[in-house]
Amino acid sequence: MSSLLGHKALERHANPARTAEHAVHASHKARRRSLLLANLNLAAIVVVLGPLIIYPLLRLIWLSFSGAHGLSLQAYQVFFSNPETRGVIGSTLAIMFASASLASLLGVLIAALLFFKPFPGARILTRFLELFVAFPSFLVAFTLIFLYGSQGSIGILLQRIFHLDQPPLNFLFGSGGVILAEVIFFTPFVVRPTLASFATLDMRLLEAARSLGAGLAMVAWRVVLPLAWPGIAAGTILCFLLTLNEFGIFLVLGSAHLLTLPVAIYAAATVDLDLPTAAAGAVVMLMMSLTLYAMYRRVSRRGSRDGR
Amino acid sequence: MDVKLTPSPLVGKRAGPLPAKRRVWHIASWSVGAATALLCIVLFVLPVMVVALSSVAEHWSGTILPTGYSLRWFERLGSDDWDAVATSLEVGFGVALLGTALGLWIALSLEGRDRRGVGAVVDALAMMPNGLPSVVLGLAVLIAYHKRPLDLSGSAAIVMLVQLALVLPFCYRCCASALRPELQVLREAAASLGAPPARVLLRVVLPQMVPALRASVALGFALSLGELGATLTVYPPGFATVPIVVVGEVERGYYLPASALSLVLLTVSLLALCLIAARMPGRRSEPKP
Repeated sequence: MSSLLGHKALERHANPARTAEHAVHASHKARRRSLLLANLNLAAIVVVLGPLIIYPLLRLIWLSFSGAHGLSLQAYQVFFSNPETRGVIGSTLAIMFASASLASLLGVLIAALLFFKPFPGARILTRFLELFVAFPSFLVAFTLIFLYGSQGSIGILLQRIFHLDQPPLNFLFGSGGVILAEVIFFTPFVVRPTLASFATLDMRLLEAARSLGAGLAMVAWRVVLPLAWPGIAAGTILCFLLTLNEFGIFLVLGSAHLLTLPVAIYAAATVDLDLPTAAAGAVVMLMMSLTLYAMYRRVSRRGSRDGR
Repeated sequence: MDVKLTPSPLVGKRAGPLPAKRRVWHIASWSVGAATALLCIVLFVLPVMVVALSSVAEHWSGTILPTGYSLRWFERLGSDDWDAVATSLEVGFGVALLGTALGLWIALSLEGRDRRGVGAVVDALAMMPNGLPSVVLGLAVLIAYHKRPLDLSGSAAIVMLVQLALVLPFCYRCCASALRPELQVLREAAASLGAPPARVLLRVVLPQMVPALRASVALGFALSLGELGATLTVYPPGFATVPIVVVGEVERGYYLPASALSLVLLTVSLLALCLIAARMPGRRSEPKP
């Protein structure tokens, strides 16, 4: 490098045009070097992420396809021909659709009320909902036992109010309880992005619509919803994804009466100690989750591009 | 995220006595607010209160409020429970620090690259655990590392590995959002004044990112403490974390001891969050007089 510089210094007086060419050449070289360094850096990151994410997933897929004699689909047959796990995909999807769509509707509604009709304490409540996301899901499910269980507070309260012989609530350990817990846990995940996309709305548009005679419903449907749609859509898809991937709530409330895919995988792996069968279930679930996740990335990227 | 609550432009504001129609409208609007508040409290605030209340309850079944209060569930927490708390703390801090370091590295490396080519692949890889079911990731890690050539199933390393993968997207996102284009100017200024890249990183970039790094450590720690699915799938005997012990007690019907242990978990994580994020981002950026 120093010899190159010396060489350049010697030539500087002799031929200005050639010096400029040299400078361009040197800067090209420096840029190529920094590009090389950046690519090496990225390669190093891939080397670190490999054993963390890629290698385990490849081993999982490999194990699910390997039978006693090379490649086979035997593990998949075993997983899905088990009488206990027959309807497992259907019930997982049904639970997901029920709880995620309820949570999305409720989340958008709560966000709209918090934003457009703020009441005293709305700000504290918003902060609380942001923190609520750090509350573990299995704890939400667990606390519902004290509240909505057959001997829980709310059941007893209803019994006292309506003078019933029996506590009226008896739905917790099953799909009803699981859906309730998921709605409670995942609604704040919809509230946050929806509030954020409401915050970017141009209020003058709403006022203009109102002054032109649009009713509240029309403003909500024709002005607010289309403008805030990217944020709402991203929040809703995220809610579906998280609901599909949920495990703690199923384990606490659903494991006795309701078999869902995560619990079936977990049971096959740790109770039956049958890793290939568990891997087959896991690969099916992986495909479902990654499909939803690809959708989420597309929608959220489009939303951030439109917002710019 | 600070959402600004502006007064609604849709509701007419008027002082003084209201005409009858407006009064009806006013009452309706007030009751909608009250109903929202009540709904939120019943759905979201009550569960948090129940953890606190049930952990100090003498007995709570078939009554609206607990019958009698005592601290005996805390006194009865055994060595197993405290071991789980210690494991959770160790794993949590390790995962939070490693995840933040890795997230920072990836965020710095990908900054300014257009999201195509290798950069897009790395970004997608780092964010991928966000879309993976925790049980599936746990099972994959268990299959990959439960026997030779690399057997991690006898130590807490396998728990840390799986939690690191789960926490990484959040830490990475946290660091990447702090590298705003506005701050790029300062870096370019330092570089044009002759500071070598290492110095720019140490003296300009990292100080700018302190709030984001704190937030990332706090988030990673909180997520790690509450993680259940992947940890339950991979954990070796003797390395149970608090969520595993709590769920085990719930499944056997020991609700009140489980509440006490959960409250310990929540308190510890809240304390750590306060320590780590004592100075919230934003306060730092206020101009000094």
